[in-house]
Amino acid sequence: MNMEKFKYDNKIVRAFALATVVWGLVGFAVGLLLACQLFIPALSLNLPYLTFGRLRPLHTNAVIFAFVGNGMFMGIYYSLQRLCKARMFSDFLSWFNFWGWQAIIVSAAITLPLGFTSSKEYAELEWPIDIAIAVVWVGFAVNLFGTIARRREKHMYVAIWFYISGAITVAVLHIINSLEMPAGFWKSYSAYAGVQDALVQWWYGHNAVAFFLTTPYLGLMYYFLPKASGRPVFSYRLSIIHFWALIFLYIWAGPHHLIYTALPDWAQSLGMVFSLMLIAPSWGGMLNGLLTLRGAWHKLREEPMLKFMVAAVTAYGMATLEGPMMSIKSVNSLSHYTDWGIGHVHNAALGWNGFLTFSMLYWLFPRLYNTKLWSIKLANYHFWTGLLGIAFYVIAMYASGVTQGLMWKQFTPDGFLQYPNFLDTVLHVIPMYELRALGGTLYIAGAVMMVFNLYMTAKQGCFVPEEEAQALPLIKETAREDITHATSRWHTHRFLEAKPLFFTALALVAVLVGGMVEIIPLFLVKENIPTITSVKPYTALEVLGRDIYIREGCVGCHSQMIRPFRSETERYGEYSKAGEFVYDHPFLWGSKRTGPDLHRIGGKYPDAWHYNHMDDPRSTSPGSIMPRFPWLLADKLDTDCLSPRLRALRKVGVPYPAGYENGPAQKELAAQQEKIVASLKTGMISARADREIVAVIAYLQRLGTDIKTAGSAPAAASTTLNTK
Amino acid sequence: MIKNVIEHLATVDTYGVISILLFFTFFMGMLIWAVRLKKDYLNSMSNLPLDGGETTPTPSGHE
Repeated sequence: MNMEKFKYDNKIVRAFALATVVWGLVGFAVGLLLACQLFIPALSLNLPYLTFGRLRPLHTNAVIFAFVGNGMFMGIYYSLQRLCKARMFSDFLSWFNFWGWQAIIVSAAITLPLGFTSSKEYAELEWPIDIAIAVVWVGFAVNLFGTIARRREKHMYVAIWFYISGAITVAVLHIINSLEMPAGFWKSYSAYAGVQDALVQWWYGHNAVAFFLTTPYLGLMYYFLPKASGRPVFSYRLSIIHFWALIFLYIWAGPHHLIYTALPDWAQSLGMVFSLMLIAPSWGGMLNGLLTLRGAWHKLREEPMLKFMVAAVTAYGMATLEGPMMSIKSVNSLSHYTDWGIGHVHNAALGWNGFLTFSMLYWLFPRLYNTKLWSIKLANYHFWTGLLGIAFYVIAMYASGVTQGLMWKQFTPDGFLQYPNFLDTVLHVIPMYELRALGGTLYIAGAVMMVFNLYMTAKQGCFVPEEEAQALPLIKETAREDITHATSRWHTHRFLEAKPLFFTALALVAVLVGGMVEIIPLFLVKENIPTITSVKPYTALEVLGRDIYIREGCVGCHSQMIRPFRSETERYGEYSKAGEFVYDHPFLWGSKRTGPDLHRIGGKYPDAWHYNHMDDPRSTSPGSIMPRFPWLLADKLDTDCLSPRLRALRKVGVPYPAGYENGPAQKELAAQQEKIVASLKTGMISARADREIVAVIAYLQRLGTDIKTAGSAPAAASTTLNTK
Repeated sequence: MIKNVIEHLATVDTYGVISILLFFTFFMGMLIWAVRLKKDYLNSMSNLPLDGGETTPTPSGHE
């Protein structure tokens, strides 16, 4: 049989590589700015576009979807062609994938600082961009499956399985979590409310980590590690077990982000148990990667790429041990809402994703440009600077996180909170925030060294846009032969791999089982969310105030979920009940307390306090690290959007009476504004009723007050867990 | 119908048991399957990344 000649497309690989480098630097730089804002709040320059709340989603999206996303496409487009011995299915789709993805990133970089956000973590982008993401992702998936269909290698190597699972699962997660009701071009409300929204969001959020940041990168590890070390993977059998166990287990673990919240206990326990079980496949994968280098460790001296790879795989092992530990309820009660979580994700993002991406870049550039790496020495400097940066970052955050957790729970011998003022616990960890910024600076310095090294490598080499290759064509087996193979017991897996669609369907089933078992009962079984009759929908003014709260990204630093611990009920008040959030589209429980929880802030301070606090937080709370929000006092409240917003909220289930948005709502809004202005006057503040701050005050003063007006909350409300 | 069945399962705690059973069955099936795979197949698979790529692929990867 004649060999077929064809060409690998290197241009698309280079395009994604350049995008990876550029967006990586942007994502890191925004992260460093945010890190510095936490000890120099003036760095927001009192501009709405530079506040922590608005920039934090920009940082997370830039790092996850722009840096790692482009890195993932870079690695997949390179390895898939070679593993399939075929050019990508469609050059058009390759470039559609590339430019579509960059357009989405640019639109995110513009809309997020403008305050267009759904507020759901890692899914902040508004609905028009959500649709674009779905379309581009489908383009990528068609290209992926098309290439697999045209392959000249009969079997799909394990790396391709990981790519497939990522491609299909991310699509499912993105579509289900992004179901929302538009209320204008750049505004929408989540289709789900409260507890249900929280579960769907963290089913998405956790599995975005799993199927965007982890499985495709594991596939890349299974390709590039053997490639660079010149040795086959330690155990192919183990990689099969790694794959199936990982994708089956991962999907169940989402609720570990909601431990001790108002999520039903059974769902929390499932999340915890499955998270613990995840250690096994994760460590199986890590050891499989590291043991691939058995007998080849000396190559680490010559090949800096391998150094980065080994450090990345080790960071993966650390993060996947730490994650399950943090999912244990007792550990979580200390770690949740603290900087520990920030340390954990940066261990994974900087170590696992970052170093693995650097590793691929160092390996690819000399090959794309048909030359040698310009300076191995500089790459080594990058390695040690980056590693030191990660160490400074992560250790500072662990110290800060544990300190916060302990201080929040500390009681005096007389039974009072030792640190009743939340600000005391913030000021205590400021030195750690400074250390973290140093770590980030080192990491960026390393990345800059890499950019220079890669630039010089490209300059000394000559780009190979098309790489010639040849392979035997794939002989199509007849159906009879397929059946013969399938019935032979050891051929079963081979049959499965040779049928990509059947394989994909099986992987999809494995992935969906967990989601279905957890999510469907929560939607169908009434006892999961006990209703509270005194909980009523927000008033028109409060809806607009809540939308401003969402726009400013307050949820990035303030939770709205008081856990049932004495330390929390003493500090904040009655713990949060599932029934209190039935009209919260989206939920705003948050995942981090850089500032205090706000669920029972309503009625705690006079209106004038909020007014002054928003103007300059340091006027009411000396030393506060919250940015100023002077524009809330100056900007006019947009009430034209009220009608479409109330209509959209009614469509997702909030029981506003028919016609409420055509008159009654506006009247109520004006009356509530006047009431707040009058209250501000008693605090010696003369404010105009039509300013944004009035709506924000209305919302903040409403928070958590519904069960107080009830007179008697549900029976469970009077008890708290007997833990700190 | 489905809603009816789910609502009338003894308690929500049943979901924990169902989940573990589902996983156990899946995992054991997969484990037995993986253990029974033949050595020569595993070897040829693990060599796939090494015989493709920037060098001209050899026919050894084919059957």
